[in-house]
Amino acid sequence: MNLAALSNDQRDALQELTNIAMGQAGASLATLLDEFVDLSVPRIRVVQVVDLPPVLAELVGKTNLVSAVRQSFQGYLRGEAIIIFGEPGCRALADLMGFEGDLGESGENELLLDVTNVLSGACLGGMMEQIRNFTETNGPAELSFSMPSVMARQVMAEQLIDPKKVQWSHALLLEVNFTIKNRDFIAHLTMLMPEDGIDKIRSITDEFIAAF
Amino acid sequence: MSDAAFSFNLAETVVKWVDVGIFVLNKNFEVQLWNNFMAHHSGRAAEDIVGKNLFDAFPELPKPWFTKKVNTVFLLNNFAFISWENRPYLFRFAHNRPITGGADHMYQNCMLLPLKAEQGKPEAVCVMVFDATDTAIAQNLLKDAMHTLAEISNRDGLTGIYNRRYLETRLSSEFDRTRRYGGTFSVVLFDLDFFKKVNDTYGHLAGDKVLIEIAARVKDKLRSSDVLGRYGGEEFMLILPETQLEGARIFADRLRETIELEPVIFDNITIPVTVSMGVTEHQADMAAYGALIHQSDLALYASKAAGRNRVTCYEAALEKLAAEGKH
Repeated sequence: MNLAALSNDQRDALQELTNIAMGQAGASLATLLDEFVDLSVPRIRVVQVVDLPPVLAELVGKTNLVSAVRQSFQGYLRGEAIIIFGEPGCRALADLMGFEGDLGESGENELLLDVTNVLSGACLGGMMEQIRNFTETNGPAELSFSMPSVMARQVMAEQLIDPKKVQWSHALLLEVNFTIKNRDFIAHLTMLMPEDGIDKIRSITDEFIAAF
Repeated sequence: MSDAAFSFNLAETVVKWVDVGIFVLNKNFEVQLWNNFMAHHSGRAAEDIVGKNLFDAFPELPKPWFTKKVNTVFLLNNFAFISWENRPYLFRFAHNRPITGGADHMYQNCMLLPLKAEQGKPEAVCVMVFDATDTAIAQNLLKDAMHTLAEISNRDGLTGIYNRRYLETRLSSEFDRTRRYGGTFSVVLFDLDFFKKVNDTYGHLAGDKVLIEIAARVKDKLRSSDVLGRYGGEEFMLILPETQLEGARIFADRLRETIELEPVIFDNITIPVTVSMGVTEHQADMAAYGALIHQSDLALYASKAAGRNRVTCYEAALEKLAAEGKH
């Protein structure tokens, strides 16, 4: 399976769907943080497992050290969200979330987990909401999330995932990055859904196309 | 409800008895539901708690933090999680190992879930409390084991001081640190004089005793930042951070004297011990940390050649002597 696994129409539909969803995610983040959150246009692609490290490095920058938190979601869609934080972002984030003073390592981890949960919940929640508007045949559009966990602190992006240790060969990769005006903060949300998830996405986009 | 003919409400009974803490809060933090797990671990029955404000009932809860956490769930209509790795517990419950022990409280993972009608805003938040004590204990044991393992792999089995592997690692990191941030450090290499004779005369057990005793005596005299290790058979190395050559020489000579003045006693036999020492200091033009080993080694052999039981500082002239094979 490769990029052609999604037809042009399907890709456009998915792009459309995620654009709307991310707009909502941005709004809900802004409510939480009381700051305007900029979200990039989602980038969608099907990646082979061997290409993932360089693709991640390209998305977040090759030279920067990053921290990453993962969270799985299951139900209507199944996959993992990985949020990659640029290092200076952690401090800015503590400030934004209303934490004062030195957080310590465990406080910082808690913050990363909280923000991951908010970002992935908002983005996937937004997608589910869109999907519920038109889908009838794919079962209830509901997701549950598992507890997020810290993957790595201060590593190069390409070291985050070792292709030799994963079970899938292709996955759908959806990337959005978040920045906050006048703040030194950037986070990349990547959602990865393994092979069988791609079929589901294809059938959802077909329904989306049929509905509009 | 399904068509099953139960004489009780299925969902209600499961929630009541499931081995997970479940309680529900409304927007005023008044408890709406309190299952048996919560009741049995807190010692507060549902009749006692339901309808009360959570923080009135449990004033020890971290109010500002937990309020924020729950409000986020209301606001974003999204799950939230609390991990024992960041906060060991929400409620300080006794662990369920009153006999087998291993922890002094229950470690908890929590999940917060917005509750709402089909469409619309959340009206309540459900909190689930999972007992993570077993995971926490296992992880702490693993951490301890890793720490012990790292310690063991850095130690010399006989004397308990650091081994050569660790010395090289430290030398290398000290070298890099000095290069990057400036400062200096010195290295002392020393060797027991006529150690072979100790082994031959008094046996290997006596030899071992001498090594242990000398290591302990030197260790006793160190500053906390100094590093002592066994470099080889009867050869020891000292790494002295932030110490210049002259300071290192004086310190080495004091060690030499301490060792000379007090013989080692083994099985009522008095074994006189002396050491020969070589000292050198880090120089900016050194290419690698190996230069320090080389120089302290040359100085040590100069001490041996000059009659033992003495301290020699490295100087360039020693290179020439070494090249002529005079040591």
